[in-house]
Amino acid sequence: MFSRAAYTTGTRAFRAPSFAQGRMASTQAGPGPFGADRKAAIAWFTKAAAGSAILGYGVSNYIATDERIAPLSKALSDSVNALQKKADDLGLKLPFTVAHAFSTADHGLHPPHYPWDHYKPWKTYDHASIRRGFQVYKEVCSACHSMEYIHYRNLVGVSHTEAEAKELAAEYEYKDGPNDVGEMFMRPGKLTDAMPAPYPNEEAARAANGGAYPPDLSCIVRARHGEEDYIFSLLLGYCDPPAGVTVREGLHYNPYFPGGAIAMARALYDEVCEYDDGTPNNASQLAKDVTTFLSWASYPEHDERKKMGLKTLAISTMLLGLSVWWKRFKWSYIKSRKIVYKPGKFDEV
Amino acid sequence: MASAIARTTYNLFFRRSSSYMVGIFASAFAFEIAFDGAADRLWDSVNKGRQWKDIRSKYIEEQ
Amino acid sequence: MASKIAPSLLTSRTYWARPISAAPTALTASAAKVPKATVPLVHRSVNAHINGAQLSSRTNFTANNTAFSQKRFYAAPVYKASPDTDVTQPPREQDAYKLQHHDDISSRNFAYFMIGTYSFIGAAAAKNIVTDYLVHFAASADVLALAKVEVDMASIPEGKNVILKWRGKPVFIRHRTAEEIAEANSVSLSELRDPETDADRTKKPEWLVMLGVCTHLGCVPIGEAGEYGGWFCPCHGSHYDISGRIRKGPAPLNLEVPAYDFNEADGKIVIG
Repeated sequence: MFSRAAYTTGTRAFRAPSFAQGRMASTQAGPGPFGADRKAAIAWFTKAAAGSAILGYGVSNYIATDERIAPLSKALSDSVNALQKKADDLGLKLPFTVAHAFSTADHGLHPPHYPWDHYKPWKTYDHASIRRGFQVYKEVCSACHSMEYIHYRNLVGVSHTEAEAKELAAEYEYKDGPNDVGEMFMRPGKLTDAMPAPYPNEEAARAANGGAYPPDLSCIVRARHGEEDYIFSLLLGYCDPPAGVTVREGLHYNPYFPGGAIAMARALYDEVCEYDDGTPNNASQLAKDVTTFLSWASYPEHDERKKMGLKTLAISTMLLGLSVWWKRFKWSYIKSRKIVYKPGKFDEV
Repeated sequence: MASAIARTTYNLFFRRSSSYMVGIFASAFAFEIAFDGAADRLWDSVNKGRQWKDIRSKYIEEQ
Repeated sequence: MASKIAPSLLTSRTYWARPISAAPTALTASAAKVPKATVPLVHRSVNAHINGAQLSSRTNFTANNTAFSQKRFYAAPVYKASPDTDVTQPPREQDAYKLQHHDDISSRNFAYFMIGTYSFIGAAAAKNIVTDYLVHFAASADVLALAKVEVDMASIPEGKNVILKWRGKPVFIRHRTAEEIAEANSVSLSELRDPETDADRTKKPEWLVMLGVCTHLGCVPIGEAGEYGGWFCPCHGSHYDISGRIRKGPAPLNLEVPAYDFNEADGKIVIG
């Protein structure tokens, strides 16, 4: 009650001063442990982080490669193994396990990363390639593989005109009905029909392919590890089995396939398709095009999604910048205020 | 002079909440059209020759 | 009024309304009587000059900060502040933080402009978020693809009916002859239960497209039957004429005409 503390309300005439200024003005605190102001503190922390990163990298590298330390780690792993063995003998379970070596033969050779253009965040599919890929699918793959979730209407506006898609659909006959007298009948395909299935059911497909079921290709790129890289590598990866590996009759050696033995024979050779747009039709081009087509079939929304995402990022960046400004605007009164002590009229004794 | 313009701007757009809101909604409308247009143009130029609309002309006249 | 307020309250109000400079001496005296010795000071006053203005406050530390102790502040009274100063005004030393060529109106305009920009970008974003979510309620592509049915006009000879399925309902298409059109037009509207001219029910008089669902209880009428040469519903005996209008029987309305269009280039009728 002896005194009255009053806050300066501030007016809009005051812009927010920098943090350093504000702090100096309010407390006269002087240099802190990390330097005189925020800039110095940031520099201090940056240097410290960089220094410890370099130091840590050097030390860990040294320890990892030092031969004087190697016996130590070997002794450690030996003792763990011995303990594990003891526990196994006694029928106990230990909370750690011994790692097993990874086998490329069991898991399939890891496919290399290929520079697919549509992997870039700002690139659409190459629709000319989708069109060629559909041709490869139709002329080669569709002999054994179905695509039950891709309809002829899906091709319209992606790789074919409506008239072309109708023509493609009408090449096949589909069962429809029942008609007025309750009978099923065959009619030429329409845009709403899916890609024709080569086999009526899975059993027929297995019987025709030595027990192996050719998977549906609608979502195959999404359904396999390695996605496009795997499909592309698998299509071109057929080779003679290495020494010591025998492949059962009816199977084919392909290092990219888990287990190494695949029922599908190599399907893509140079010039098995004839492109009408003048693109060279060697096997790798065919594989690239059909992979692009299958990738589109797995992600038909891909182009639209990327465009939408980039727009969202642009708008969010603008909003982020503006909200930073807004926060500083709203806080400027608080950051720049000064608490003034207004005494009564008396003299210091 | 500059002050007169600033004052006019203030009186026209910011002084009343009603005019401010009208301005905001009108700007939102204009901004959306401009932004979408610019984004589409940029997208199409980055992906020139890759999209269906770029290769469509090759197949449309056959029919 | 004043007399009804308790004297003590009245006193206190008057007391607080008074300027502090005129506070009772007893109060100031007690403040002034705080013995200096109670605050053992390591006195270090800080006087800063910014652009020639002297800070009127001093910050006193009770102890220097060392590695293990924190700096402690002891706020001393401001000696030089005038009791008449209006404290809602910023003190003069804050002038140091003022911009040199500052214009209040431009500054305010800038702030409103920035907030307005934030609002309209936000509004555009919000609108898009809402519409993008509402799109999920729309019919899916496979449903839309089945929502249209095409019929080749050349496959229907004159004077013949065709029945096809569209969205699970039968659709009648009749390629009418000139006599049938004349007959449909000759009926006067006053005779009809549900008055509609033939021109209202067809886009081209040769082609009559209707849903084949009786407006009574939803049976499928039989073509080229009934007393009026049109359709006849076998369930309850409704008679429709050659324009699909109800003429006799329990049905209240004419047969419904769906949305359809002619694709002249391909010679097709597109229903839906």
